[in-house]
Amino acid sequence: MIQDMLQSSPGLGNFVIFFILGLVLLLIVLGFVTFSILAERKVMGYIQLRHGPNQVGGRWGLLQTVADVLKLLLKEDIIPKLADRPLFILAPIIAFAPSFMVLATIPFTENFQFADLNVGLLYYVAISGMTVFGVLLGGWASNNKYSLLGGARATAQMISYEIPLVMSVLGVILLSGSLNLNEIVEAQKNGWFILLQPIGFIVFFIASVAELSRTPFDLPESESELVAGYHTEYTGFRWAFFMLAEYVYLFAMSALITVLFLGGWMAPFGFLDFIPGSVWFSIKFFFVLFVYLWLRSTFPRMRADKLMEFAWKVLLPIALGNIFLTALIKSLFF
Amino acid sequence: MTISGEFFAFMGLALVAIIGGVLLLNLNKVVHMVVALIFTFVSIAGIYILLSAEFVAAVQILIYSGAITIIMLFGIMLTKPYDDESESKGGKWKKILLFLGVIGFAFAVYVGIYNFPIEQVPSALHENNTMEIGKAIYTKFIIPFELVSVLLLAALVGAIILAKREDKEADKE
Repeated sequence: MIQDMLQSSPGLGNFVIFFILGLVLLLIVLGFVTFSILAERKVMGYIQLRHGPNQVGGRWGLLQTVADVLKLLLKEDIIPKLADRPLFILAPIIAFAPSFMVLATIPFTENFQFADLNVGLLYYVAISGMTVFGVLLGGWASNNKYSLLGGARATAQMISYEIPLVMSVLGVILLSGSLNLNEIVEAQKNGWFILLQPIGFIVFFIASVAELSRTPFDLPESESELVAGYHTEYTGFRWAFFMLAEYVYLFAMSALITVLFLGGWMAPFGFLDFIPGSVWFSIKFFFVLFVYLWLRSTFPRMRADKLMEFAWKVLLPIALGNIFLTALIKSLFF
Repeated sequence: MTISGEFFAFMGLALVAIIGGVLLLNLNKVVHMVVALIFTFVSIAGIYILLSAEFVAAVQILIYSGAITIIMLFGIMLTKPYDDESESKGGKWKKILLFLGVIGFAFAVYVGIYNFPIEQVPSALHENNTMEIGKAIYTKFIIPFELVSVLLLAALVGAIILAKREDKEADKE
């Protein structure tokens, strides 16, 4: 449906329709973020043998995040006197916008996708790299040494881990012969890439945790050393924007892993085809999400000097070896 | 010229690209300049998309606005440049001459581009961009490609050697 509309002549009607579709996706993502924060707190609570939020909104604390967000929006908006005002205001926007743009190319089901790009995977990697600017500029504009350090750490980490991230996906691209996410899903008809690319998957998963800067790779905002890293000086809804970007990336990354390695919307076995694709997609998606939450509550933070070594000396060689191996397998067996 | 979505998109992107360029020259703080540069790079990537060169667009964002500007920003932030805000003010004549020069340049470029003979080569590049580029690189342009990769490798090795030497000297002192 979107494909036809993209090729039709422009007009106010089309603009309104696109706008409404985008708004609906934004609302869905906001809803997801609200409840994934709650889920994170609940999962972490149960793993640490406590209950987590259980006061606001019934036994399950269903309205806890809503209340938190309301509190954030009502807070006073503080811009430090010595901060670089225009960049301080611009940085959260630069950080958030790419995280939402990235969602455009992800195929949720066969029919539910906004842009069927030929370079979908590359688009994701390229656009998500732009968030680093928001983080770095936010850290610099705050005029605070903890913020600057956090921003510098975040940049170094995200750039270093982007390389193994892309290298590990090359195996998938080799096997499917396309950068188009739809075709990558179609190529998994006979076997998910998690089975054909186990090494690639593990490297990708580790690098993606670092890209999302979640524990054990949450050095950019490690509260015990840097107060809060790049967003120390941010308050109210500007801070909320940074957090929002982080959780939208969590959404996007879980969806991307589902698409790349877990067969997207396809059923695991042929006889289960009667269950619609959206259900399969959400099952896999929530499983990946749960693993992320699980990791967060079970790992300690990495040391800063080990972090870079791990990316360049461990992950990158393994990813390169995986490419070599995949090329060998492809030329021998496919 | 018919007014279509492409026209609007091109106008918007071109405007952002040019405004970014002008701001890059006129802003005072170096970090602000880099931000203006990012806007220019991203809108140029948008223009590539309009020309249905998706692969080049993605690479433009990944390398130019991703990697190169980050390195520039990093260098600038960690070295603390002096804020030189003094501006040389030329006389009236200099401004008039500059203006004439700009107009002359614009005229020359306009004439040059307007009558530029472009041969229309039918190509299927826009259909499966990435694959066609890959095929061209690995068949027709394999030797230049290999040469470039050797050059990059040499640069990489050189960078490592330079970094190591600095380390040793620091140890001696």
